[in-house]
Amino acid sequence: MPDLLITVQHNPVITFGRSGSRQHLLASPSDLKREGIELFEVERGGDVTYHGPGQLVVYPIVDLREHGRDIRGFVRGLEGAVIAALADFGIEAERRTGYPGVWVSARKIASIGVYVSGWVTRHGLALNVAINPAHFALIRPCGLPVETVSICDLLGRTVLLDTVRDVLLERLAEWFGWELEISSLAEILGGASGETS
Amino acid sequence: MTKENAAIEIRLPDLGEVDDVRVVQWLCDVGATVAEDEDLVEVETEKTTFVVPSPAAGRLAQVAAAEGATVDRGGLLGRIEQLG
Repeated sequence: MPDLLITVQHNPVITFGRSGSRQHLLASPSDLKREGIELFEVERGGDVTYHGPGQLVVYPIVDLREHGRDIRGFVRGLEGAVIAALADFGIEAERRTGYPGVWVSARKIASIGVYVSGWVTRHGLALNVAINPAHFALIRPCGLPVETVSICDLLGRTVLLDTVRDVLLERLAEWFGWELEISSLAEILGGASGETS
Repeated sequence: MTKENAAIEIRLPDLGEVDDVRVVQWLCDVGATVAEDEDLVEVETEKTTFVVPSPAAGRLAQVAAAEGATVDRGGLLGRIEQLG
């Protein structure tokens, strides 16, 4: 099975990981309903998080057995590719020890969360291109106030999510040594022989 | 003392720069028979949830790190007793 990267934008959704606490949700059910935000509990670790329009989400489905079973390398690769892609836009970003994700001057611009089962990854990263700050204000990940920021905030101009996606995919391909083949979901799911590619 | 079958150690792989790895959930009980590569136990850092596969086929003979425990890099999670 070749490695697969799924890139997507989500409708507004708040997900609770296993250590997520309802106390870290600062909105009432009617607030959420009004904003059109759905709630889900998911299998991954970590606390509450928000995904929505204006945020580039990438799900890498990668067999780590083909990459030296290097879990640390995989996480570093996701972080490194995001940092390199942001540099392409003139944004200096970094990792922070003890704080997952990618940061620009103590403001979080990308979150990283990986789940590996059978040595195959699922879940990956979410990069803020032009997020709705009112939605992010509805959660308090890890019970701490975290300031989030997006590419458009930092550059003071509109950047298309598709442009960011293309740059990030290039940087990911560089890091992991991939040759990218772009497909649509329909093509992948509906191959004539029924194979997934 | 009776001679025991070889016991294979289940060790924690390197998950990254974080030394703080928590055992989230054992997916089978002590005494259960497991296949090689079968999902044994879920561990987690801030960035990664990793399901540790069984290093061998056999019986889960010992759980060395219980749910909620913290394990160091390369730490012992348990032991598989190879059968027959």
